[in-house]
Amino acid sequence: MVEGAGLRLIPPPALARAGYFGPYGGRFVPETVIPTLEELEAAFWEALADPSFLAEFERLLRTFQSVIGAEARAQALEAMGQLPEVAVACVGGGSNAIGLFAAFLEDPVELVGVEAGGEGIPGGRHAARFADPVRGRPGVLHGSHTMVLQDPWGQILETHSISAGLDYPAVGPEHAWLRDRGRVRYTAVTDAEALAAFQALARLEGILPALESAHAVAEAMRIARERPGVTILINLSGRGDKDVETVAKALGEALG
Amino acid sequence: MRGKEAVRGAFQQARAEGRAALILYWPLGYPDLETSIAVVVALARAGADALELGVPFSDPLADGPTIQRATHRALQQGVRTPAVLEAVARIRGAGVRQALCLMTYVNPVLAWGPSAFMEAARRAGADGLILPDVPLEESAPFRAAAEAAGLAWVPLAAPTTPDPRLRALAATATGFLYLVSVTGITGVRERLPEEVVAHLRRARRAAEGVPVAVGFGISRPEQVAALAREADGIVIGSALIQQGEACGFDREAPQAFVADLRRAAVRTSASPRCAAPSWESDPET
Repeated sequence: MVEGAGLRLIPPPALARAGYFGPYGGRFVPETVIPTLEELEAAFWEALADPSFLAEFERLLRTFQSVIGAEARAQALEAMGQLPEVAVACVGGGSNAIGLFAAFLEDPVELVGVEAGGEGIPGGRHAARFADPVRGRPGVLHGSHTMVLQDPWGQILETHSISAGLDYPAVGPEHAWLRDRGRVRYTAVTDAEALAAFQALARLEGILPALESAHAVAEAMRIARERPGVTILINLSGRGDKDVETVAKALGEALG
Repeated sequence: MRGKEAVRGAFQQARAEGRAALILYWPLGYPDLETSIAVVVALARAGADALELGVPFSDPLADGPTIQRATHRALQQGVRTPAVLEAVARIRGAGVRQALCLMTYVNPVLAWGPSAFMEAARRAGADGLILPDVPLEESAPFRAAAEAAGLAWVPLAAPTTPDPRLRALAATATGFLYLVSVTGITGVRERLPEEVVAHLRRARRAAEGVPVAVGFGISRPEQVAALAREADGIVIGSALIQQGEACGFDREAPQAFVADLRRAAVRTSASPRCAAPSWESDPET
């Protein structure tokens, strides 16, 4: 069974009983591809110890990530003949958001980053470094000085979000800097709001957003309600196929 | 004699006795605060030249599974910086005179405030501070705070650290240079890479008299014996924890193991002599 990749591959019961499928839930392709991917992953972690690999990796990540913003900006100009008034992206570690924001930093575009509000800020079951004034404080985690969810003695706190990709106690330091400068506004969306946005986009547009991206959709829906007619660019940073099990569970639905 | 003099003194004394200094690590708060105090006192009595006391941190990125598990358990029981410093004071109160170096990560220090943290640590009886996630380039304010508080600063170097950086790191070391034996995390290793000795020689050359202690992965007297000829000090951590766990943290249990380690740390006359470091006023005869 492939867990964590989202959907499990469920063999028909008769074949499963006959031992037709291998340990990865397939007959040939998964059995061949997944061990190779695991090998690749092991090699990646090994290579990560090499500072020159890490430097090149980070350079590539930054370059590739910025393509999001460059393309979004060009597409907005083509589709609307103007820049959007608002651009919204979800912020876990913050890579998709920084990729988007980078292209608009010098433009008169309102930039909004959306953190995972989880079950709400007061109880601490969230991953909102900016939105929680008590637990979110400057600190150092994984080598970056940034906003970090921590206890009074500097111990990093457990985080919660319905979306695994936003479930991180620190945030890319460039976001902390953009927030300090007042260039980007950061806000939080709860699990329930993200779920509602996931369903809304699925029903109205036939698009399954990743639960991470659904946070950005929820914030965009909020902005649209408050300011009718405003043009909003949403970074739909991932697809929701990987999240259908989580969503079904959250909605109390059984998957066939 | 406290602070950096105490840390340097530990190396001087071991050297005068023809040994590599034995630096024993224990995470404070594991398995609980009381027991950890008793274990540290026992390790001191069993023959540690200096003690490295772990201050639990939730994200211990330099530590392997054994120490991670131990410090996680300490945190689960609510052990935080104030309790840790109280434990240090109680270890001193129990008559432990050896150099005590605190090992933690930068965020608990930042959360308290570097100067306040270091002054409180010094008042509690700590002599030195090890922060593995503070790189050389970012270390100046921490070193200044340590200097002001009277704590020895102990920077870390890796096997991959080039010579110029080794020299720069050693120049900041008011305690000793902590050479990580492997590119990896703490934890018992069956075999240490053969290059460790070469790394040690290179580090000691670059350190120009600043004591160099080697740690990460060293668990057995044979390994200590092999490194004692080349290192000024040897740090043992995970192996002590595993031994403690196997013996139910019995206070008498570490004695035989530490005695073995200490015997192994004696430099045999047949082994190549280390060059007398310049910090030592009274070279071994």
